[in-house]
Amino acid sequence: MTKKQLAMVIDSGACIDCKACVISCKVANKVPGAFSRNWIKEQAPDFSGTARPSMHFQPGACMHCDTPTCVAACPTGATYKDLETGIVEIDKGLCIGCGNCIPACPYGARYRNPETCKADKCDYCPERRAAGLPPACVDTCPTKARVFGDINDPMSEAHQLLKSGKNPIVTVVNEVTDTKPNMYYLDKTAPGDWTEPAVVPASMTAMKQLTPLVKGIVGLSGLGVLAMLGRQLLVGDSHEQEENHHD
Amino acid sequence: MTRQFKRHDRSDIFMHWFNAACWIILLVTGVGLIGNPDLDPVGSWYPRTLRALVGGGANLLNIHLAVGFIWIFAFVGYLAINARGALFFLREIFMVSPARDMGWMIRKMVIMTLGPKVLRKLGMNPDLPAQGFYNMGQKAFAQASVVGGVIIAVTGIIMFLSDKVFTAQGTWIVSWSITLHFVAVGLVFAGLLVHIYMAAISPEERPGFKSMFTGSVPEDYARHHHGLWYDSVKSENASTGDETG
Repeated sequence: MTKKQLAMVIDSGACIDCKACVISCKVANKVPGAFSRNWIKEQAPDFSGTARPSMHFQPGACMHCDTPTCVAACPTGATYKDLETGIVEIDKGLCIGCGNCIPACPYGARYRNPETCKADKCDYCPERRAAGLPPACVDTCPTKARVFGDINDPMSEAHQLLKSGKNPIVTVVNEVTDTKPNMYYLDKTAPGDWTEPAVVPASMTAMKQLTPLVKGIVGLSGLGVLAMLGRQLLVGDSHEQEENHHD
Repeated sequence: MTRQFKRHDRSDIFMHWFNAACWIILLVTGVGLIGNPDLDPVGSWYPRTLRALVGGGANLLNIHLAVGFIWIFAFVGYLAINARGALFFLREIFMVSPARDMGWMIRKMVIMTLGPKVLRKLGMNPDLPAQGFYNMGQKAFAQASVVGGVIIAVTGIIMFLSDKVFTAQGTWIVSWSITLHFVAVGLVFAGLLVHIYMAAISPEERPGFKSMFTGSVPEDYARHHHGLWYDSVKSENASTGDETG
């Protein structure tokens, strides 16, 4: 359990698909080209029944999961779960842009920034938070569908929405890879079938599987050295014994 | 004073210790750059402590990169200046005579760990086959160092270039480089443990260790440990009339 868990509680029923959150995020975080750190998914209307067809929109972004598969795919810890804030962070100085984490997110929340050539995703606008402002997407939302705060702080609106018991709370999880996301939706949300199973690159899987083998070989070598050292200390110099044999 | 046989030039000795210093720093910093609970070779306390010590993972990466490039540039420069010596070295370490050298390797390993008596009990001749400029153990570690060193340097450069020239489509090359870099270092390190023991701790190779400072070994050491090389130097000197060795 983290001390703090910054998170979003979203009333997706209030979302009108205006995409102001996507635009403001791109501006605030200088997200290049066709890339985006956040999104609005839409549920296609159902015309088959007699009921009036309607659409449902679902705002989302990095869900700052409790068991993030992106972190497990990173060899250096350049991406990590910050235990102080609960945010899944990227250390841009340590990240070399190897790309392992990008297919490892079931939500497609990560992209490789073509300008920095490093992984990038939502980090809840640290500059804005430092200035006492909410993240850009939250601030700009005209229907206030996104509520941001520390869900472990009883005083926060996010906590109160989550714990009031007035609304059922749902998360969008992938059945194959449940990463325990920290993005909560009020009542119900749709669509729910758009996530992908986390894919860890074969190179990273190979590295993890080879680790015991590499450790074993180093260990065997170390044991060999210890055996030689033990013999040297207990029996003395084998060379001198051999010397007599030679001459 | 016993006659000395020259084994290493001053430049070789310098490069050996320069390489040793670089490898130690690169190993210490490199292991600290691995920060994943499924990989951490010595536990997650190590990367955490080391990163705290140098002011963060980014600084650690920069130190590792700087030393890595110093190592690569110095080595390339050394090889360019001393191409003849490099070719001699490569020929010596990759010329393996299977029967002679494997026989040496197996018997030596038994003698060093279990003792010569065990070898006799196994019905094997405890006399070691004569060796050339390098014995098979030195050859094996040198081969691992050369092949491993090239893999480590090339994969290191690829990782360095990852956020400079690689596009998102090419990152699989970077990712495999990380894996290869890690495995190659692990295997070379396994050999390095034996190399350090044999050279610096085992009393038997003491004259060889000293030659990494002085450049030469005494005659009886050359005769006993590198018989084929000893014979070739002797016959070469006899034919040129040079008896200084």
